Amino acid sequence: MLVLRRALFSELLAVIAYPLTLYLAFGVGLKGYISAVEGVPYPVFIAPGLISMTAVNAAFDESAWSMWFHRRVQRTIEEYRVTPITVYDIVIGKILCGFSHGIFKGVAVTAVIFVFTPFRFSLLHLAFYLFYIILGSMIFSCLGTICGSTIDKPENIGRVQAVVLVPLIFMSGIFFPLSSYPAALVPFIKLLPTTAAFDGARQALLHGIMEPVYAVNLVVSATVTFLLAVWIFDRKMAE
Amino acid sequence: MAAVVLDSVSKVYGSITAVDRFSLQVRQSTIFGLLGPNGAGKTTLIRILTTLTRPTSGRALVEGLDTQAEGRKVRELIGVVPQENNLDRYLTARENLVLHARMHGMKPEEYNRRIDELLELTGLSGRQHDFPDTFSGGMQRRLVVARALVHTPRVLFLDEPTTGLDPQSRRAVWDHIRSLSRDMTIFLTTHYMEEAEMLCDRIVIMDHGRSLVDGTASELKERLAHAHHYELEFRSGGDRYEEVLRALPFVKSLEKVGDTFRLTLTAEEDLKPLMDSIAGADLRKICLREPSLEDVFIELTGSKVRE
Ligand SMILES: Nc1ncnc2c1ncn2[C@@H]1O[C@H](COP(=O)(O)OP(=O)(O)OP(=O)(O)O)[C@@H](O)[C@H]1O
Ligand SMILES: [Mg+2]
Repeated sequence: MLVLRRALFSELLAVIAYPLTLYLAFGVGLKGYISAVEGVPYPVFIAPGLISMTAVNAAFDESAWSMWFHRRVQRTIEEYRVTPITVYDIVIGKILCGFSHGIFKGVAVTAVIFVFTPFRFSLLHLAFYLFYIILGSMIFSCLGTICGSTIDKPENIGRVQAVVLVPLIFMSGIFFPLSSYPAALVPFIKLLPTTAAFDGARQALLHGIMEPVYAVNLVVSATVTFLLAVWIFDRKMAE
Repeated sequence: MAAVVLDSVSKVYGSITAVDRFSLQVRQSTIFGLLGPNGAGKTTLIRILTTLTRPTSGRALVEGLDTQAEGRKVRELIGVVPQENNLDRYLTARENLVLHARMHGMKPEEYNRRIDELLELTGLSGRQHDFPDTFSGGMQRRLVVARALVHTPRVLFLDEPTTGLDPQSRRAVWDHIRSLSRDMTIFLTTHYMEEAEMLCDRIVIMDHGRSLVDGTASELKERLAHAHHYELEFRSGGDRYEEVLRALPFVKSLEKVGDTFRLTLTAEEDLKPLMDSIAGADLRKICLREPSLEDVFIELTGSKVRE
């Protein structure tokens, strides 16, 4: 927490710069070519996904790297483990820390988009949207914790991100509507937790729609990844 | 009650037996020293006692509590200084101590005074708001020791506490450890014979996961009293005699340091034939050498370097 406060400013700048660049490049740059998607101006179409993506990426990064760093580099996990706190306290603490990073950075990007763009939404939609961001950040924080607990080489964490997470995120319809997929593929794509998080988030924020399939998918995924992260960390520490 | 009990503890890593049916009891309020060459299994034993590693078989107790079944209670009672410093480099020196205190459930009123005291004691007060990666190795080590003491543990485990320290810091740490031993049991490992001799009430030398000898420093040296260590110093032409000495059947070991030879004879009676064989040499000095703890160590664990 302390460390978070200290690094706040420089981190925020770095975190906000990326989605904002994407927003400008795709949203503004392509505006002339893509006028509206599903009846929504393109910049508005991608904004919710960009916010969600920032949040879940931040959650994953924080969890994975912090766990890896404390376990492999500083070995502070061992210092924690010789005090009365338990292995569960440690792993849940790390998950929550990644989670709050995600939420926090998501909020920061939202604020920036809100201030600098004509993008507006209602409070009810925002509440629905929050549900998706919270669960999405939770899932990615747990995934990050799992990677950070099991992967010893840092380059492999980067590989998991590049080979698994980035494709999952891009496949889930951040930049294009799911209707662009061949009809046969759509049901499968809809099953991805990332689709649930990003497409669901967009439905919620833009239209105030709470898609039950997405919601259930996210709740189940979050529960499963959480239990898995705790279990894997516990096993890893018992070695 | 014994502060530390190991009951036939083994730890196997694949094909390596790091600790092999090791048994030990350490009395309360004593300083116990565990010695052994690299890879002997010292760190593994400390990790088992501090609940970090599960023994493959056997039982380890700290203050009567099982390290596996009652790990949490054990951790409330112990302080640990690991072989490698594991400070949080994103927290200042003081924050490192505060975090430790909070993990032990201490309240600010309790820990702030204690931390001030410890920082004073370890000479780090002036640097308490700096980050540990700006510290020298010795300062980091002192900070790790201070951190292990924040919650006033009953048993303190120190894995090579003074490795990498200069003689002044080393002595400071020794004084500190000695002053603690009144109301704390101290379990330390070291490669420094001098350290073991100065500090420890009792010493165990181990190798290949097993205990080799057990006793006070003087008891251990006593065991070697039967060995006959001599020192010969030649005024000139020492090299010529190296061959001669090596060829003698009763010279068990021979070591050359400058112009001085250190040798071990099989028996006292060998002294006369030795003198005969080097008759006429320009001898500066010949003397009987008291065995040091290091001799005991080398004698027991061999002089070959481990991989
Ligand atoms: N996690 C592990 N996996 C496999 N083997 C291990 C592991 N930890 C220790 N060992 C092995 O156990 C043996 C004992 O190691 P240990 O670290 O206890 O030695 P040590 O006495 O502390 O040595 P040093 O003086 O070098 O610190 C070594 O052969 C080591 O290779
Ligand atoms: Mg060791």
